[in-house]
Amino acid sequence: MFDLIIKNITQRKLRTGLTVFGIALGIFAVIVMGGMSEHFNITFDRSMSLTADKIRVMPEGGFVGVSLNESKVREVKRVPGVSDAYGLLQSPLDPESLGMFGGDTVIGIPPEKQELAMKYTKLTDGRFLVAGDGYRAVLGSSVAREFNLKVGDELEVKSKRVQRTTSITHTRNFTIVGILEYTGSFFDNAVQVPLDRAQKFYDRGDTVSIILAVPDLNADPEDLTKRIELNVEKVKALSPSDLRKQIEQSLIVFSLITISAAVLAAIIGGLSVMNTMLMSVSERTKEFGLMKALGAETRDILFMTMGEAALMGILGGILGIIGGGALVYYLNDYLASRGTTLFTITPRLIAIAIVFATLLGVLSGMYPAYRAAKMSPMEALRYE
Amino acid sequence: MSDGEIILRVRNLTKTYMQGKIPVHALNDVSFDVDKGEFLSIVGPSGSGKSTLLSMVGLLDKPTSGSVFIDGAEITKAKDNEAPIIRREKIGFVFQHFNLIPTLTAQENVDIAMRFARVQKSKRKERAVELLTQMGLRDRMNHKPSELSGGEQQRVAIARSMANHPAIILADEPTGEVDTKTRDMIVELLKELAGKGQTIIVVTHDTAVSARTQRIITMRDGGIASDTKVGEG
Repeated sequence: MFDLIIKNITQRKLRTGLTVFGIALGIFAVIVMGGMSEHFNITFDRSMSLTADKIRVMPEGGFVGVSLNESKVREVKRVPGVSDAYGLLQSPLDPESLGMFGGDTVIGIPPEKQELAMKYTKLTDGRFLVAGDGYRAVLGSSVAREFNLKVGDELEVKSKRVQRTTSITHTRNFTIVGILEYTGSFFDNAVQVPLDRAQKFYDRGDTVSIILAVPDLNADPEDLTKRIELNVEKVKALSPSDLRKQIEQSLIVFSLITISAAVLAAIIGGLSVMNTMLMSVSERTKEFGLMKALGAETRDILFMTMGEAALMGILGGILGIIGGGALVYYLNDYLASRGTTLFTITPRLIAIAIVFATLLGVLSGMYPAYRAAKMSPMEALRYE
Repeated sequence: MSDGEIILRVRNLTKTYMQGKIPVHALNDVSFDVDKGEFLSIVGPSGSGKSTLLSMVGLLDKPTSGSVFIDGAEITKAKDNEAPIIRREKIGFVFQHFNLIPTLTAQENVDIAMRFARVQKSKRKERAVELLTQMGLRDRMNHKPSELSGGEQQRVAIARSMANHPAIILADEPTGEVDTKTRDMIVELLKELAGKGQTIIVVTHDTAVSARTQRIITMRDGGIASDTKVGEG
């Protein structure tokens, strides 16, 4: 029966081609949009696993503008149940272009805490920061690739010390002492420098952007988070699960937007399959009547017509995956040279795309197939 | 040619259509028997009920009342899902417009009937070649209907109708669309098949066709007006 299906869809090459192309476009969108969503999910998961055990302490009132005095680090450390705490200072690497998708950041970190903060992460070259380091930096893998830097090279960092000015006020070269392996997290886009140097360079006095608190092994992070908020004034603490929830929520919104756009595109492809199949079924009314007279059962007709629709769906799906995969490959390649990636095509995504394409074909073939199968053979034979 | 074995038994067959609110009696209490190997024609003016009768016997439509037995089994009692099986095992159709599938070659058109009957692929090929050879189309097997003449197309259709060794071949105006020379050839072919024991019922307007069958049933106003044996054809 399969050869008949192929015969039928190759009989009308242009029509089949257009329909397949319609599905392919939809699946292309699923792959590209889905690839973006997958990438964000994976980055989030990896970033979380690097910082999941720590409680984030931020200035009350939000992230931007306000900063914490370093004295708060000591206060946090004194809260019972906190085994360690350290402050980080974060600033964009290039203050003049704030990329929409992250972009590179400079992280000032107490040198002796760096290895602890980057648990599990190895260096591909060089060493971690050590106490007493001056203008030294450890680069994330993406930053290193973007600027094509090796251990021993110098990286120019710019700053705008006064918030109001729009031009760069200071630049300073940092010597690279280490390069981190690829983590898939935001640390890939980070330039880690000693905290005291960062504070001096950015003219931020004794302030930090965020304090990370490491709970004791037997302390409950949720309880500890509340205790930090109670014991330290004017801070907001975020437990790992709070953070996860917060980010997951925004990721869900992002996924919903991308996926619904993709699904919409794919449904339009599905409608074109339905349209093609309805046309082809009504063109072949007489043929189906004849097949029934020849003894074709309802399931034979259903199999043939739905098979045609499903095959168009699968073909479109494969083309869409190839097309989307190619675009994503070249875009990632291009973006990698600029220090970022935006898409990850996972096996899961490919499986979803192909199942979706097939399902789309089958579902849109259902009604036309039903019409074909329900035809009375006598009426169909009389149909001119 | 008949050996007395009854292959088709029609009993009190009645079909009433509703045309709006007016009932139309297309068939009215029709009964007759057909022996195995008989070559029979059903004639009559348009609207006399001959095509309706053919579609009841061919299980393409259901009667209002009455029964049709083929090989002793009452096909009018068949359920909807059994009808296709009976059609492909017991009945072969030949139509006025040939009704070949335009995208398939002659051989594939014969093949498809056996495909629905779930015949093995190798056996299907063997049978299709055998039948088309018998129809004198051995060198036309890989041609599509558009590349065949009317007579050739109808011979493909006849080959197709015989593919599953049906009990009866039902031919609805099989010569309605061909010239007289081709008509004679087709009638001769059907007659030859009947001579080999194949039961054939032909519905026709053409007296030149019916005259060459063994038995003529004349229909009028949904009933049988006359049923005459022409003698040994």
